[in-house]
Amino acid sequence: MAEQGVPVTLTVNGREVRTSVPPYLLLVDFLRDTLGLTGTKVGCETGQCGACTILVDGISAKSCAMLAAQADGHQVTTVEGMAQGSAMTPLQAAFWDKHAVQCGYCTPGLLASMTDLLQRNPDPNAAEIRRWMDGNICRCGVYQNVVRAVRQVAEQAPGGGGE
Amino acid sequence: MRAIGSSLPRGDAVGKVVGATPYSGDLSMPGMLHAVTLFARRPHARILALDLGEAGRVPGVVCILTAADVPHNRFGLNVPDQPVLCGPGDDEHASRVRFVGDKVAVVVAETVEAAERARALIRVEYEALPVVPNPVAARQTGAPVLHAAHPDNVLLHYRVRKGDTLAGFAQADVVVEGEYSVGGQEHAFLQPEAGLAWLDEEGRVAVACAGQWAHEEQEQIAHALRLPDERVRVIHPAIGGAFGGREDISVQIVLALAAQKTGRPVKMVWTREESIIGHHKRHPMTYRCRTGATRDGRLVAAEVELVSDCGAYASTSTKVLGNATIMAVGPYDIPHVSIDAYTVYTNNVPSGAFRGFGAPQSHFAAESQMNKLAAALGMDPVELRLKNALRDGSLQVTQAPMPAGVSMDHVIEQCAESIGWRRTAQGWQRPAAAQPDSPWLRRGIGFAAAFKNIGFSFGYREHCWATVEIHGGGDIDRVVVRCAGSDVGQGAHLAFQQIAAEALGIEAEKVEIVSADTATTPGSSGSASASRMTFMAGNAIRGAAEKALAMWRDEEDRPVIATYEFNPPATTPMDDMGRSTPNFTYGYVAEAVEAEIDTETGEVRVRRVVCADDVGRAVNPQQVTGQIEGAVVQAQGWATIENFVQRDGLVLTPHLSTYLIPTVRDIPDRVDSIIVEVPDPLGPFGARGMAEMPFIPFAPALTAALHDATGVWFDHLPLTPVRVLETLDEQA
Repeated sequence: MAEQGVPVTLTVNGREVRTSVPPYLLLVDFLRDTLGLTGTKVGCETGQCGACTILVDGISAKSCAMLAAQADGHQVTTVEGMAQGSAMTPLQAAFWDKHAVQCGYCTPGLLASMTDLLQRNPDPNAAEIRRWMDGNICRCGVYQNVVRAVRQVAEQAPGGGGE
Repeated sequence: MRAIGSSLPRGDAVGKVVGATPYSGDLSMPGMLHAVTLFARRPHARILALDLGEAGRVPGVVCILTAADVPHNRFGLNVPDQPVLCGPGDDEHASRVRFVGDKVAVVVAETVEAAERARALIRVEYEALPVVPNPVAARQTGAPVLHAAHPDNVLLHYRVRKGDTLAGFAQADVVVEGEYSVGGQEHAFLQPEAGLAWLDEEGRVAVACAGQWAHEEQEQIAHALRLPDERVRVIHPAIGGAFGGREDISVQIVLALAAQKTGRPVKMVWTREESIIGHHKRHPMTYRCRTGATRDGRLVAAEVELVSDCGAYASTSTKVLGNATIMAVGPYDIPHVSIDAYTVYTNNVPSGAFRGFGAPQSHFAAESQMNKLAAALGMDPVELRLKNALRDGSLQVTQAPMPAGVSMDHVIEQCAESIGWRRTAQGWQRPAAAQPDSPWLRRGIGFAAAFKNIGFSFGYREHCWATVEIHGGGDIDRVVVRCAGSDVGQGAHLAFQQIAAEALGIEAEKVEIVSADTATTPGSSGSASASRMTFMAGNAIRGAAEKALAMWRDEEDRPVIATYEFNPPATTPMDDMGRSTPNFTYGYVAEAVEAEIDTETGEVRVRRVVCADDVGRAVNPQQVTGQIEGAVVQAQGWATIENFVQRDGLVLTPHLSTYLIPTVRDIPDRVDSIIVEVPDPLGPFGARGMAEMPFIPFAPALTAALHDATGVWFDHLPLTPVRVLETLDEQA
């Protein structure tokens, strides 16, 4: 399969990956099945649920709506690449502390969306956080705790805290 | 130091936020095969022939399982009426498919692609049979018989006769009549069904999957494979939500069979579309109700007929019907009650367990009746409820007294006060909603209450096992709790940890939970359902911990190990008058909803929800709040946007693009969780179950708010914009 594929070079969680991929292969399947990065989840086939959301060049993207070949030349970050070594990022720690996780299946996607938000706006208010979450479905309904978690990160950041 | 009552963060959440925790679809093993399912995709047909020839020749195909491969081709949680695989042959029952999600074959291959290619080449010859699309059609003379044991298609009829309704209605000054209907609901847990099966080091068939009751799944697999239970092992890795939707078997039996046949690990992952057609739904139900009261607001009589769409197979329909029956008049003490409840086979996707288990449907009807009755009497709806609420010793519709610890009135008062109800000399008074400037937007405030059993009912021998090991020398260094109960995402294992720590007087960090594996736990914990896990496992763990602690003090041997089986008071099934002791305890909840309706678009927005839930004792308050907020969102989905559409047995909403569930844009602007703590006399440290309760009163509280806003009653769910506009037009 590899010899008939599209050659790609991309960075995944800081490591360069050089390979060739079938032209039809979805990025999410490449991450999960080829690279074994199963932290990124699949919850639907139609782009609604957002469980597969990752960061491409720091911008949140649904990896079920991208081909692996489209990631050529880009920097991909999955949930496995967020933490520095064994330390959780402040956002991950806030999700843990604020109970923004129930079953946890939507969590990697929500973390990607909220990471993107905080990079654009380090001090978002509740309405802004809600707006940025609407591509991620959580069936357990932890939405309000996600708002609390993101606010905690904003308040703890240097210069943060004003809403 | 108290372990109970503190909002400790969840240990399992660390793995989940760094992406290190595997769910069943994330597992793989060397030499693993992949399996896909051929679903019938037609609601009613006889299978005349099955041709695997071409499919079997696809390179990479290892085997194709059909009905002929299943040693005992039946399963079912309460009634084994469902074939594992349908196919032609002497077994008439299994030669018919009865809903779109019946399974015909399972292809096992070296790759998913090969399995899918082969599946497309399987030739099935069907003879189409007439479709039974709903319970009304199912009960007509001459309707096709779906199960030979039930020639009228009625799986079960419950009949309750308490007092004398004729005499009761004769005392009534006001009688309110109503008809209600509620739709089905798809669980849409975010992780679709997935599993991995293999032969473990002891030669057992092991299945790792997302379920809710490991020991029950073990039993059902063993039954179908004709194996002793101990030759089957069920393991639950992290579970991506359940809500009742994983109580029935999905991939477990066929995966076990595939691993047994091939001797290799076999994995199967359902797509979302397969998940939606393949597993059961919340029961659609219809109600006809009459409720009578005296002028001073005393309920004297109620009559209810309710019909639930069981779908193609029994699943838990008989149990759901029991719950719907005993809650059909709400949490009130009514002397004269008559209830007839039916659950009826159709060619729809089976109905079964879903958060609330019959209680949301019945409370929608019962609480809507109460709101209408209050309006008819010119009485405040909170005032009316408080006059009639169940109390300790009140007789249920089954004529058994309520178990001790009833807090219905207290919960109603707490909720009402919090959203602004006032106690006046004339009684309770509803606050007026502030109206927006735009005249097409109307706001209102509504109220409803509910009760719901904790644990299994009607004579089931309810029990839960736990083992506690205490390690250390003089001091306790470490404690291992073995308890099979599944953490489906609700945080049960943290509650186990906190309860063990409390019972032993140690820090929660010293407690390790070993769970969700039939090979490493002492026995069944029962299902993660019926709001029972904290209550049942909590009592079992507390019992084992106390026993272990006594051994720790009295004996020299280390570690000490104690096992305990908790049995709550016995319950009994209903007789032909509905007499029984149905449950050993209940939870109590009240909700007030402030909603806004756009009278031009039919859109409904929920501005605020106040939920007062008596949880007995909040083991972890933040987790309790999470359950309340999550249940409210799911209930709002069921009441408003979630529209599960089946036509002639076909599912028209098989994707998340057509079956819409709430995103953050749909949820209430604000949810106030009021944690009420009236200890349950039977609960571990007073805790009651609570995870279903906040779902239950939401829908009738919402429709009461819409009535307050518009003067129009909304008696049919879901409240899609089209239905809202039509209802406004009809009653204008």
